[in-house]
Amino acid sequence: MTELIKTSPVIGAQKKMNPIMGVHQGMEVALSFVDQKIEKKHQAILGVTDVSCFARFAIKGAKAAEWLEKQGIKTPEVVNAWLEGAPGTMVLRLGNTEFLVEDQATGNACTKLHAFDQSNTQDAYQVARADAAFILSGSEVLNLLSELCVLDLRDAALLNNALVMTQIAGISATLVRESLAGEQVYRIWCDSTYGAYMWEILIEIAQELGGGAVGLTCRFQ
Amino acid sequence: MSMRLPKQVGEWIKRDKEIHFTFEGQEYKGYEGDTITSALLAAGVKVLGRSFKYHRPRGVLSLANHDINALVTDGMDTNIRADVVTLSNGMQLKAVNTDGGVIKDKSKYIDSISPLLPVGFYYKAFHKPASLFPFWEKVIRKAAGLGIVNFNYPRINKRKLNAFCDVLVIGAGPSGLSAAISAAENGLEVILVDENQQLGGSLTYDYAGEEAAQKVLSDLVKRVSASSNIKVYAGAYAAGYYQDHMVPVVAADGITKVRAKAVIAATGAFEQPPVFHNNDLPGVMLGSAAQRMMHRYGVKPFKTGLVFTANAHGYRVALDLLKAGVNVSAIVDLRAEGQQDTQAIELANKGVKIHTGYCVYEALPFKGKLGVAGALICPYDEATATADVKQAVKLDCDGIAMSAGWAPAGALLYQSGMGVVYNNDIQQFVPNRLPKGVFAAGRVNGAFALEARVSDGLRAAAEVANLLGKSVKAQSVMPHQGTSPSHPYPFVHHPKGKNFVDFDEDIQIKDFINAAKEGFDNIELMKRFTTVGMGPSQGKHSNMNAIRILAKIRNLPVEKIGSTTARPFFHPTPMGHLGGRSFHAHRLTTIHAWHQAAGAAFVDVGAWSRPAYYQKAGLSKVEIVQQESLAVRKAVGMIDSSTLGKVEVCGPDAAEFLERFYTGVYRDQKVGRSRYVMLLDELGVMVDDGIATRIGQEKFFVTISTANAPAVYREMQRWLQVWKLNATLINVTSAYGVINVAGPKAYQVLSKLVTIDLSEDALPMGRSTEAEISGVPVRIVRAAFVAKEAYEVYMPSGYALNIWKLLLEAGKNEGICPFGTDTQRLLRLELGHPLPGVDTDGLTNPFEMRAEKALEMDKAFFIGKRSLEIIAKKPLNKALVPFVLPADYKGELPQDCNLVIESGAIKGRVTSVAFSPSAGRVIGLAYVAMHQAQLGNIFEIRTDNGKIAKATVVHAPFFNAE
Amino acid sequence: MKLLNCPVNGVRPLSEFIFGGECREMPNPETSTDLEWASYVHYRDNAPGIKKEWWYHSPSGTWFIAERNTLSDEVLSTYLHGKAPAKNTKEQSA
Repeated sequence: MTELIKTSPVIGAQKKMNPIMGVHQGMEVALSFVDQKIEKKHQAILGVTDVSCFARFAIKGAKAAEWLEKQGIKTPEVVNAWLEGAPGTMVLRLGNTEFLVEDQATGNACTKLHAFDQSNTQDAYQVARADAAFILSGSEVLNLLSELCVLDLRDAALLNNALVMTQIAGISATLVRESLAGEQVYRIWCDSTYGAYMWEILIEIAQELGGGAVGLTCRFQ
Repeated sequence: MSMRLPKQVGEWIKRDKEIHFTFEGQEYKGYEGDTITSALLAAGVKVLGRSFKYHRPRGVLSLANHDINALVTDGMDTNIRADVVTLSNGMQLKAVNTDGGVIKDKSKYIDSISPLLPVGFYYKAFHKPASLFPFWEKVIRKAAGLGIVNFNYPRINKRKLNAFCDVLVIGAGPSGLSAAISAAENGLEVILVDENQQLGGSLTYDYAGEEAAQKVLSDLVKRVSASSNIKVYAGAYAAGYYQDHMVPVVAADGITKVRAKAVIAATGAFEQPPVFHNNDLPGVMLGSAAQRMMHRYGVKPFKTGLVFTANAHGYRVALDLLKAGVNVSAIVDLRAEGQQDTQAIELANKGVKIHTGYCVYEALPFKGKLGVAGALICPYDEATATADVKQAVKLDCDGIAMSAGWAPAGALLYQSGMGVVYNNDIQQFVPNRLPKGVFAAGRVNGAFALEARVSDGLRAAAEVANLLGKSVKAQSVMPHQGTSPSHPYPFVHHPKGKNFVDFDEDIQIKDFINAAKEGFDNIELMKRFTTVGMGPSQGKHSNMNAIRILAKIRNLPVEKIGSTTARPFFHPTPMGHLGGRSFHAHRLTTIHAWHQAAGAAFVDVGAWSRPAYYQKAGLSKVEIVQQESLAVRKAVGMIDSSTLGKVEVCGPDAAEFLERFYTGVYRDQKVGRSRYVMLLDELGVMVDDGIATRIGQEKFFVTISTANAPAVYREMQRWLQVWKLNATLINVTSAYGVINVAGPKAYQVLSKLVTIDLSEDALPMGRSTEAEISGVPVRIVRAAFVAKEAYEVYMPSGYALNIWKLLLEAGKNEGICPFGTDTQRLLRLELGHPLPGVDTDGLTNPFEMRAEKALEMDKAFFIGKRSLEIIAKKPLNKALVPFVLPADYKGELPQDCNLVIESGAIKGRVTSVAFSPSAGRVIGLAYVAMHQAQLGNIFEIRTDNGKIAKATVVHAPFFNAE
Repeated sequence: MKLLNCPVNGVRPLSEFIFGGECREMPNPETSTDLEWASYVHYRDNAPGIKKEWWYHSPSGTWFIAERNTLSDEVLSTYLHGKAPAKNTKEQSA
């Protein structure tokens, strides 16, 4: 029974924008900025949403995949790939033996996984993580990414269900493209301690290109 | 008086859109599409700038950014390339490098004293006495300089983007356009770059009147715009070639870094000036410049001109001039055999006098050298490169067009690693070896005839397609036919010099001869001594001529001289473009916003931003640090240590891994206990230290110092791979927040938040325990880095801010005091703990630190052990000792790195020093010679002001030392 | 910017990598003489040629070996430590 709430790694940077804050998945996070109409517009041009609050479970070790399968979670067969491992839950394969499970707005697999006692499991070790995680949407996303990332991310180069670990804005990050409510969006995960920096850069460029911050409420209403 | 011609076919200006601007205080108008220079030329302005060194009046030379005669300032912006920068309304332009205006420039006298300023003058004249150099430097900088930099220039964000394609085609002339179209038709994605605002390259000025050529151009341009596979960057230049086909493309609004699978350089050629006396007068210009003026901007270059040529191009220029209504007084052809083609016949038929085997001996200036009054021409012997002055004839003219040859625009190809051979048929360096994926086409590749350039583009495109997995029929190109486009030695020597080779740097033929006489007769040395090609145009109009002159001086074939490589960037590029957006990646802990609100003064530690101390009104930094440290010693303080590196080592071989990686013993460590870890490199040099807590039979939790964490974690990963142990490393640096609660009342405060017993008996030094704070699982470790009574509290980082706030609340009555890293440094110094990287350097071994007890030399292996065995055989020559200054010490506070002196000799140095309020005196750590290291010994430290402070070797910790 | 092929993540620009020095066999610390050990830790053979080097792909935390011709700066092959591909294949000699 947890009384305390977590704070989003981006909270300091977000609060400068006077958002309406709220608690989601036990984390204090920006629910909305400015107003919905403008946020919707931003979302279509270049919207940035902080989803650091999504529940996550990570596991590493030679038998990590086996362990996840045993809990009913599907895992990608090759490295640098992701799939929907359970309804509303993304499973990212971050290396030969490392996986990140993330519940999206509707998923709930992580709660169950956390509940398992796996202290006696051999060769599969739970990984404590702290991610800053973002959704980028809109017509100008590739324009933004072409400034922040040195990789070719055009449709032909970044396959569906591919996952790239690369540098974004000079720091290590994980990037995938997914379809969210019929919209093609990009997801970025980075080390939480770089979260504020990443948020500020994303917002700076988004605003230059006619977009901006989009709150959780607007994104998932 | 207007020099504007009637509307020209294919001109770039829009005559219905007038643009108003001023130059040197005078109002002018031009049209949309004009460059600054073309608008001024149209208005009859001939003097556009002053030269760099001699302040000679200069006009247009290339009209293509291959020279910098016309550099102007517009408000904040300076060194604007007037020849190519598009005119815009309201520009208030001034020529750079003048003292009192471009016409009346007070520095023009320098031209008359130029014999006093020979090549290498600065190197020789000012190197001694050294004391006078600052004086001369000021004078020289004032005299020789371009635009003045405005230090208040605002930051204007220029984005740097990345782009990708199959083929990057550089240059949109006939070969580039054909190559791009062909590659696109073969299904390749193409980026086509050209520095001009419009596509077409030389077809937009040369051959401009010819119907056939016009058809080729409009057809190519149409096909490019119709192709969905071609992305065009016009008005943008390919600035350099970088490994694996990366080419930055610079446009007005920023740089695009293009990564291609193959590159076709269809970069063309720069026209080179023939060299004769006064070839720099305003009105003397390259033939291609005259063509650009007429065909792109509808401007007449002069009223009566002569053409000084040594190739077929000059004849086309003459025909273009005639068509524009210029009175062509003569063609002066350096070649004895002249030109025997239809154009020569046409010119002769039109009554133009053609002097073959003649040179322009000198251009005659009119008043103030502000223009051309005529030309002295005389017979020229190509074999000896001498002019027969006795037969000189004076011709009247107000302008001279020069066409004597070309230099390949090969900068990017050279950068890619091209090998060249000199082709005597065209007197030009052409590629004979290109790296995989790099291709040359068109004039840069030696193809000069229009049909040859088109087919060379197709040939390159076919080769690219085949390289990239398509199957395309190879294309062939006809070798060059007819006369050479370049003359091997277009130089006319003159006793008065002023026959310029490099217009940027005012370098004349005699400067090369003198440089060679001084022994600088290698092209690289000559370049540096004469500075040829070192100006802003980077040899575009001068490098080839410099090679030709040196070849003549040394009596070698041109090929033996070689060429210097023009480094990136191709054109000078504004700093703002290079800077792009500023990215300062930095890491913040979850508690950062609280620190900010509490007035923390931040310091960078690695990528982190950490509070150094919390500012208080009216108190100095030193006072605050002392206050914060006293709070810890007397009550309780807390510091956000979340930046510590943290790694979990899991698996059956976890202990074995630590035993090999660190110097101590971990095999027998009990769960719930912490041990000190010390990391050495293979040389036995101390790298890092931290704490390893065994949190499970097969699981250790290891800390690494903040700044070393990324590098140490990488080393862990590498060694694990090499040792092939059954262990897994998990970097949890960011996953856990750490708050260190320290001081005699730390126990009291922390006990309010947890239910477990934290007393000395239950949790002595070196123990750890799991606990909960408000339902959040935390780990509490007793570690004595800053105080004996200290608890490191580890929690999932998402909760760190709220737990920090809980601790503040819980410690209110005890006077809990947040402290920063400056205070932490003082606190650990008071305990006598050396810091890696502060009290150690890249050579320090653990014996010198007297850290033998951290070494388990009986283990089979740990990193650095073998080296330590060797080091241990030799006598130690220094040791790190804690020291104090006398309690009544009143002198200057010693600083880190002050030297330990004995009888005038250096024996060691201070590594940490501070006044400790708890010890009541100055304390520190220092390396001293072994004979100085025993307890109670007094040694001498020389402070910054040269005085000696007497220090006594003591035991740490310091605050019990009394 | 140069491209390098990470055996796990594919071709990436050099900015994603950290150089880890030449990969050399450590002499047996038990049996090597002081002189042999000192040469191992202090000497590097900088003569140009094909070198085995450690490289680290930063975003994914992957150490691997690159065989590089330091004269031509050509990377001949990359592989995880201890997993060198069989020699004399066509690609190797290319």
